[in-house]
Amino acid sequence: MSRVFNRRKLKFNQKNKEQQDDKLVPKPLYPNLDQNLEVLHFLYKDCSDMVFRSFVIADQTKAQLIYIKGMSNIEEMDSNVLTPLIQKADQQSINPKTLIEQRLSVAEVTRIESFDACIDQLSIGNPILLLEGNQQGFALGLAKWEKRGVEEPSGELVVRGPREGFTESAGVNTSLLRRKIRSPQLKMKTLKVGRYTQTTIMITYIEGLSDKTLIEEISQRIKRIDIDGILESGYIEELIQDNSYSPFPQVLVTERPDTAVSNLLEGRVVIIVDGTPFVLVAPTTFYSLFQSGEDYYHHFMISTATRWLRFLFLFISLLLPSFYIAIITYHQEMVPTTLLLTMVDSREAVPFPALVEALLMEITFEGLREAGLRLPKQVGAAVSIVGALVIGQAAVDAGLVSDPMVMVVALTGIASFTIPRYNIAIPFRMLRFPMMLLAGTFGLVGIMMGLLAILTHMSTLRSFGVPYLSPMAPMKGKDMKDTLIRAPLWKLNTRPHLTGEYNEYRQDSDQKTFRRQGR
Amino acid sequence: MIEKGKISALQMGILMYHAIIATGILFIPSTVYEAAKQDIWISPIWACPLGLLSVYIAYKLHTLYPNNTIIQYSEHILGTLLGKLLGFVLLLLLYTSASVMIWQYGEFVVSEFLPHTPKFVIIGMMVLLCAFAVHGGLEVIGRLAEMVVPIFFLLFFIIIILLLPDIEIKRMLPVMENGMMPSIKGSVTLYTWFAQFGIIYFFLPFLTNREKGMKSGMFSVLIVTFTLMLTNIIIILVFGNVTENFNAPLMSATRYISIAEFLSHLEALVMAIWLAGTFIKICVFYYAVVLGTAQWLNLSNYHSLVLPVGLLIGVFGMQAFLNSAEAAEHFRIVSQGFMDTLVYGVIIPMFLFFVAYIRKLRIFKQKGRRER
Repeated sequence: MSRVFNRRKLKFNQKNKEQQDDKLVPKPLYPNLDQNLEVLHFLYKDCSDMVFRSFVIADQTKAQLIYIKGMSNIEEMDSNVLTPLIQKADQQSINPKTLIEQRLSVAEVTRIESFDACIDQLSIGNPILLLEGNQQGFALGLAKWEKRGVEEPSGELVVRGPREGFTESAGVNTSLLRRKIRSPQLKMKTLKVGRYTQTTIMITYIEGLSDKTLIEEISQRIKRIDIDGILESGYIEELIQDNSYSPFPQVLVTERPDTAVSNLLEGRVVIIVDGTPFVLVAPTTFYSLFQSGEDYYHHFMISTATRWLRFLFLFISLLLPSFYIAIITYHQEMVPTTLLLTMVDSREAVPFPALVEALLMEITFEGLREAGLRLPKQVGAAVSIVGALVIGQAAVDAGLVSDPMVMVVALTGIASFTIPRYNIAIPFRMLRFPMMLLAGTFGLVGIMMGLLAILTHMSTLRSFGVPYLSPMAPMKGKDMKDTLIRAPLWKLNTRPHLTGEYNEYRQDSDQKTFRRQGR
Repeated sequence: MIEKGKISALQMGILMYHAIIATGILFIPSTVYEAAKQDIWISPIWACPLGLLSVYIAYKLHTLYPNNTIIQYSEHILGTLLGKLLGFVLLLLLYTSASVMIWQYGEFVVSEFLPHTPKFVIIGMMVLLCAFAVHGGLEVIGRLAEMVVPIFFLLFFIIIILLLPDIEIKRMLPVMENGMMPSIKGSVTLYTWFAQFGIIYFFLPFLTNREKGMKSGMFSVLIVTFTLMLTNIIIILVFGNVTENFNAPLMSATRYISIAEFLSHLEALVMAIWLAGTFIKICVFYYAVVLGTAQWLNLSNYHSLVLPVGLLIGVFGMQAFLNSAEAAEHFRIVSQGFMDTLVYGVIIPMFLFFVAYIRKLRIFKQKGRRER
């Protein structure tokens, strides 16, 4: 059996390789301009957005300016490239290269020597200048294309904290990081991934804080990706995470520069993918997914209380319907008598067992939520009205569900929104359903078994070598001060330990202001 | 080495704590009560030295063979044939022990919570869950124990506090009515539990901080003693001389909790504690059996053994006893005469240790040769 699969795999790999070999091998530019143009014309055949503009530098040398429409700044090209170069030279037979050095008023000029580099530069919007009799071309840093401005991230709102968010452009994103970390120790390594998209991926870290082997591991994992296109950081996330068969996110995703920076300062690595405002932070642990940037901007007591609330609601979002089912079906004696009577009273008319009732309502609720996410805005109002009818008084009046069930579903729905990160809320929403089935078949024993199974699975997880449940399991006392509680800033003296060697102390100790005695 | 993962000494201590206390907390009070009457809370103190002894011997053997478990060094101490034979006996005892645990679990769940559910479903579910954890390796079991322990303590103390209104001091009086003997007799039953500490010989080679192995093991024994004392005191204060009528007194005691009309019937809490603890306990023994079998067969990897062994102990666990009366008879015989846990926990290691001590010179010579 496995041999058949192996043969198939082999065949697939062979075919794959053959296709790959068709790709252009890096060829140096020719000294002859016409020859160069011929190749470029051939490469960009049927590309109506390419512009080839030929002109003569100082009445002597033939030259060609090549760019892609809409990706380069035409005004600057006119005034800073064409105008000065076309002007006649004062002396005869001056070297065109020196002329370019003297006259070209463009800040960023890169020399290119191969067609590969030529294509690279063109595709990011930089115009190319080719000269007759010269084996070097010039890429001019005049890229300019339409991009979204820096706006407040809609997925991660805060009450207090900076309101800027990452954008789709990697260049803007790195500048947002650089503006927060002025130190030159903020390093960015650029990789290109994607056979066709050639997407820029930047591995950002602070030298001296991040473990070198970790950076090496991350770049290795990204380098071995061979895929036709990267459209979002989700592609990278799925291809580099340790355990692909886990519903739990092993990489943190954020839209907020302040969150990214605080993770950088803790020695983690931020991966910026061009074309998406969502950057990845690795490695990550279960508890860090429950931290919000805002936790550090508010008073530590408030933040701690908020964290506890989040964990409480995490359990509610996972377990409340299951508890309800288990208690109604198996453990009625746990409910105080008066409450039990009310519940029985309202359940009397309901034709389904509690499990079916709960499944019905939960699935309806999930459906409504999903519908609300994807619908065009104009229809949104209709969904909310219908939703209120389906999960609400109408359902109860119709005798399909009981009153307590409506409350349970509503509370569960709210609970999963209290978790600050969407990607950690989803697995718990999903796991609610198997838990409900377990509760319906085995009661509280089933719930406990389900919880233990989830816990076992989470204990097996690692994110880039860091155990997922650390610092609780394996226990690291020093790092516990920023998990279930948020210790005051003057106590957060050490960085959390991730892997390998690390820079332990993040600040001076004894920074608490104290009241002077006497005087 | 066959196990790639490492655990910390603390994790080992917590693992052992769960492995002893999970069933102990439920069944010890009534079994000890038979002999010790109102002095059941003193018995753990007398049994504690046995736990310390078994940890000590296991640690001493570990210092002789720091990278091996008992299955491996028994071959080295006694020679291949005798060593294999001893390993076989040891494994058989462990298999039986694990099966009895699974039977206890199944019986308890069926009788207390789910009377209409077939037993093989309940046992099968637990064995599968444990297989999942054991397959993950020692690291995963260690982390699980660490995650469970705070919840365990929290719920335990909540129960103790909620039971406080029902206690009456005069139920434990007079202390030592008939001298020390009843409590010492009662402690004999506890040897079954404390001897299980010997099983750390399967974990000591995989510690990150080996020098702390002994300390952490001893500490675990002391905490177990303390927990048992606390449980026994509470039980005797709540139930007095009716304790022996209950199979699991702590469970029954929580049924009487009734505070503000709302907090009542909290046996689900005990169940949660006990289920999580039993899970760790079965995992510990399951893992020991799997690792021991793999080493006995000289396999390079124990993962392929996880499911077969699980099936074996699951089926053994189903067949262990016909009914609880037979089981009670078994436990009576075991606790008074032939203690299987005592054999594998203390006697076998002690025997090995003495043989090693006598042959010490030769062993060290051979070791030196190997290192060269």
